[in-house]
Amino acid sequence: MTMFLIKKADVGKIAQELSREYEVYGPMIEKSSGQTFFDRVEDLAEINLAAPIPSNPPKAVVFPQMERILAYEYDRTKNAVKMEPDYRVVPKALVGLRPCDLAGMLCLDRFFMGQEFVDEVYLNHRKKMFIVTNTCITPFKQCFCVCTDSGPAAKEGYDLNLTDLGGEFLVEVGSEKGAALAAKLGLAPAGDPHLALKNEKVDKSIAMFEDIAVDSKAWISRVMNRVTTGFAKEEVWEYIGDQCFECGACTFVCPSCSCFNIADVSNPECAGCADRLRTWDSCSYEGYSRMAGGHNPRKPVEDRRNKRFFCKLSYSQMKKYLRPGCVGCGRCAWVCPGDIGLPNVVTYVRREITR
Amino acid sequence: MNQKPGVCTFCGTGCGHFIGTENNRVTRVYPSQNHPVSKGRLCVRGWNIHELLDTPERIKKPLVRADGGYTESSYEDAVARLVENLKKYPPESIGFLASPRSSNEEQYLLMKLARAAFRTNNISLDSDSGHRASLNVLHAGTGMAGMLGSIEEIRKAEFILVAGIDITRQNPIIGSEIHMAARAGAMVVTLDSRRTQIAKLSKKFLQVNPGANKLAILALARTINDENLSDAAFMSAHTEGFDTFRHAFGLLPDNEVSDKTGIPAEEIKAVARDLAKAKSAMVFFSSGISGLDEDTIGYIYNLFLMAGKIGREGCGVNPVAGLNNLQGGYDMGLAPDLLTGFQPLADEAVAKKFAAEWKADVPSAPGTPVYESLSNPSSKLKALVVVDHDEGIVRYADAIRNLDFVAYIGAFKNPFADFAHVVLPIATYVQEDATFTNTERRIQLSMKKIEPEEGLLPGWKLYTMIAGKAGQAWTYAKVADVMEEIARLTPPYAGVSHAKLSSGFGMQWPVNEKNPKGTGRFDVAKAGRKLSFYKVSDVFEVPSAKEQYPFLLMVGKAQHFWHQNNLMKKTHIPMREYNATLMDYPDGYVEICPQSAKEIGVRDRWPVRVVSPHGEMRVAARVSDDVRPNTAYAPYFVQEMISRFLLGHTEVLKQGEDATIPVRIEKV
Repeated sequence: MTMFLIKKADVGKIAQELSREYEVYGPMIEKSSGQTFFDRVEDLAEINLAAPIPSNPPKAVVFPQMERILAYEYDRTKNAVKMEPDYRVVPKALVGLRPCDLAGMLCLDRFFMGQEFVDEVYLNHRKKMFIVTNTCITPFKQCFCVCTDSGPAAKEGYDLNLTDLGGEFLVEVGSEKGAALAAKLGLAPAGDPHLALKNEKVDKSIAMFEDIAVDSKAWISRVMNRVTTGFAKEEVWEYIGDQCFECGACTFVCPSCSCFNIADVSNPECAGCADRLRTWDSCSYEGYSRMAGGHNPRKPVEDRRNKRFFCKLSYSQMKKYLRPGCVGCGRCAWVCPGDIGLPNVVTYVRREITR
Repeated sequence: MNQKPGVCTFCGTGCGHFIGTENNRVTRVYPSQNHPVSKGRLCVRGWNIHELLDTPERIKKPLVRADGGYTESSYEDAVARLVENLKKYPPESIGFLASPRSSNEEQYLLMKLARAAFRTNNISLDSDSGHRASLNVLHAGTGMAGMLGSIEEIRKAEFILVAGIDITRQNPIIGSEIHMAARAGAMVVTLDSRRTQIAKLSKKFLQVNPGANKLAILALARTINDENLSDAAFMSAHTEGFDTFRHAFGLLPDNEVSDKTGIPAEEIKAVARDLAKAKSAMVFFSSGISGLDEDTIGYIYNLFLMAGKIGREGCGVNPVAGLNNLQGGYDMGLAPDLLTGFQPLADEAVAKKFAAEWKADVPSAPGTPVYESLSNPSSKLKALVVVDHDEGIVRYADAIRNLDFVAYIGAFKNPFADFAHVVLPIATYVQEDATFTNTERRIQLSMKKIEPEEGLLPGWKLYTMIAGKAGQAWTYAKVADVMEEIARLTPPYAGVSHAKLSSGFGMQWPVNEKNPKGTGRFDVAKAGRKLSFYKVSDVFEVPSAKEQYPFLLMVGKAQHFWHQNNLMKKTHIPMREYNATLMDYPDGYVEICPQSAKEIGVRDRWPVRVVSPHGEMRVAARVSDDVRPNTAYAPYFVQEMISRFLLGHTEVLKQGEDATIPVRIEKV
């Protein structure tokens, strides 16, 4: 593996160089609230690699909350339709992506592009992307990526991976694009002692989970066994379902949740014209699984809830993602009004808690 | 970064969010992690507010009715037409129907417009029953016309009573806080006729017969009295007038309690003991159009006063506003008898203060609430101005159609606008700085996020223009100036300004010299007065089922149906959820339990006929464990249900959700 070093004071040069060719996205702290967002960067100086895990997953970059994917116009008199797909093909650079969020995006890749049909809209967002990941040298309160094998350091899928070694960052190259950028910046080469130092930092980070990441723990392998073999009790799902507020938040903040809705919005000022929108959707909504004709295979809320956790934790899903669907970011736990974020659910299923 | 902080404007919880925009359009929403109320949570409505804010279903041009249709007009001409028509009538024939969704600044200016420019006190909010009832009780008892507790203190309460409110649906994030408190060990008790979600999440559930809430509260209070569990030290130090309440205890024969409430006497007694022994306790009940009646609220307040659970940490009598600025509406004086901050119009010193600030006399003739005028066939009302009305199902449609002149002011398309002779569009709340006051009195500033469409005025500018045409020269340079005027006239808002609200997460009134950062909760130590018991009635008319009408029918809301749904219909996801219910039950439904369904001989989604002494409707049965035998629940989300059946029960609509109708349910 090729490795380089970059001084802390110079790390901004990576984003600067990328900004010549790419639209840059990165972690920034919103001043009035102190909340971290992973968002489009207008002022490169705002990128903050030391910021806590972003409150929003970066999936919005490739899979926006609401986007127009098509505009059409139907001319009734000529019986003709004009259709214009609306794909936003702009090279994008994600700088400072956390490992869990990269793992989430790889799940999305496999869902949208790795199966029989390739999703054109997603593909157009995702292609020409440059990814710079950032190793978590300390965990955050809500993290449990060590339980889901998605951190604290990224293993694959990046172009460059940064690890804060103290005064400088170790820059690991993960692709030809990454190598080209490192060469362009004329970075100093790094050697095995630096890699050893990185591994030490990562081990230290893992050791810190016990004290720092106190909000969340999830014994994923154990619960995966139970969920896959059907040993999760009905009463446990009912207990979980009773606490679901059906808000959809868990799916919206999940880096790997991919479900969407399509809505055609007619234009009141132009008869026959409509925009086709794609929006985030959630399996917690009753209308989501309702079929034409009125049958709903997952009508009771507990059936919808357990679907979500099957999707994240069962072996059949793992075959699709090549990993658990959960990436251990812990966001679902802090947005859930019912306090049934994934770590709690794992505990309830594992311990068969029913009230 | 393109994330601008703001306040969700659906319900009265006032959750914090961030709105993302692209090319001057709203494209996304995200919860605010550090917001003290919502702490990073939003409900299904809040998570989809960007869909509403991006809807093309907006009013974009002033419209004037001509030749049976509308023609596009200019603000100049449309405002001239409005003023000319209003000026035709004496003040008693003009009415203003204000919106509990408008910002404080807009509400205040509408109030000023009605009084200073058009000389009338006929101004009211479109949901005047419940919240006003709550404020009357709390103001009379404590001097504070707002929630006594604070949402931030919910987790400090050891005992929480949820009385007749489906809170995880109506104000989900407050429901979430209660759920979190329960998980941390608080004794949460739900008193309701339906097994709501919060009932399932509570430690105890008192499933009361429809219409018997007041009786159940009285039974709780009597247990506290009989078993000497009241906080005697608190009562003697801080309260007065217990005698106005004590008399009620004698009214209640023991055996009637369980008969009429349907709750075993021992269960009620146990809950009374839980309440008394808890160090801190809160109660939540519904306010607004579907709220409890004033007398029941009086009983609830008195119960908590006896127990010494008012004005201390983790305590509070908490009416929950269903709409984002319902509390602000009363704060801004949107009532015939009130000026801002619950100051009575009849108080001459107050009227003088306003007259001096406004440089115009405040009319002293008492006004009439608009709905009261509309329901009165001999009313003098001839011209009506309606603002940002939410009703998809227009009440009093015939009365409104018969008015000489109707003007509609609003941002979104609305069936109500079809009644108007003049339609004036305004910007949405993300297109201008605006403050809103949530159910716990938190005044929050929501900053402008996108520019209004070309030529579109924000509400405050439109009202200023109307006032100008009516001969009043208002001189606000920016919307923040309006808040400065409100602060000068309104004691609880004295220390409020946009500048102070521009950082942090708002301030809870009263904000004044003594409390420059606001007041989280009512504090008995700082009250400077004794708290008085509320004078309650001794009438307990519990509706009872009769042989011909064996079911007690409750009316209420469905999950995705929110405040008549005019706004939810402009979203995609919540609209789909609403449609899913509508497709299953196109004519609406009446919820009955499996046992009743068996007796009637129907299954889920089978048609039934619901017959009352005043009318009948054909709906589908929905079979559910959430109601008891011989009770039934009908959410009013289908126009036919309202117009054909419920409107025949005007008394019921007036009483809101607590009301019940004895009915017969038959297989069709």
